[in-house]
Amino acid sequence: MLNNYLPILIFLAIATAVALVLLTLGSTIGRFFAREPADRDKLSAYECGFEAFEDSRMKFDVRYYLVAILFIVFDLEIVFLFPWAVALGDIGVAGLIAMVVFLGILTVGFIYEWKKGALEWD
Amino acid sequence: MLVEILFYIFATLLVAGALGVITARNPVYSVLFLVFCFVNSAAIWLLVEAEFLAIVLVLVYVGAVMVLFLFVVMMLDINLAEIRQGFTRFAWLGWITALAVIAEITGVIWRNGLGGVDVGRGFVSEPANYSNTLELGRVLYTHYAYPFELAAVLLVVAIVAAIALTLRRRPGLKVQDISRQVAVRAEDRLRVVKVSAEKRS
Repeated sequence: MLNNYLPILIFLAIATAVALVLLTLGSTIGRFFAREPADRDKLSAYECGFEAFEDSRMKFDVRYYLVAILFIVFDLEIVFLFPWAVALGDIGVAGLIAMVVFLGILTVGFIYEWKKGALEWD
Repeated sequence: MLVEILFYIFATLLVAGALGVITARNPVYSVLFLVFCFVNSAAIWLLVEAEFLAIVLVLVYVGAVMVLFLFVVMMLDINLAEIRQGFTRFAWLGWITALAVIAEITGVIWRNGLGGVDVGRGFVSEPANYSNTLELGRVLYTHYAYPFELAAVLLVVAIVAAIALTLRRRPGLKVQDISRQVAVRAEDRLRVVKVSAEKRS
């Protein structure tokens, strides 16, 4: 079965090789042809012609986090749906009932977040 | 033979990445090292022909969970000097947690062995049309139905916990309510008043 994944392995090897070659080429060419000494302003952070005003890291609204975590929960729901859809022909009614219960429990959570207003953005 | 070589390559990269996670000074680099670790463990899972789990590891952990980690790391508004101050003070807590996890892992292996996996047997390849997803689906929804439903309960707990922790209503916020704006009629807003004319004095 792993033979099916051989093209991906070759792709991975070529990508690594290209990255290494570019990195070494860039650094060696830069070492031989760079003008010395490098300008101090060349190395400074550049922001529309000014020095950077403040730290780029700042507090932002925790609601982004809420949206992300709700996304992950339903992402996992989809992950559980996928092998079920593949195997449904073999597992029959028992598998169907198991999935209905699973989705029912998650629908309770979905109704909760809807009613609670977690999906609203105001 | 190739599989063994690949395993050692990916395992070495995985351990190196894990070392990078705990030694990197910048937390953002730590998260990126963790992404590297997840990709390598996905490759190792692929080598044991657990293809569905491998792709799920990449999609869910790299695609979603690590984004969440980056959120947290950036939201912390990190002052690195402050973090290092607490390092030695809370180091004992980290040591206790690490030792507890190691003790639990060795305890489980001590009691149950490796769960019937024969390590000495070596690698046996499945035929080309083998579907790991199908095999997983055959047992997950029938034999392991109870843990499967427990996973749903766990996800609901995650929803409730996330909402309880982060949802804040700000009172007095001025928002548009489009449906009420559309449903408004002229007589709600406008009153035509008859005023009797005044006599010219």
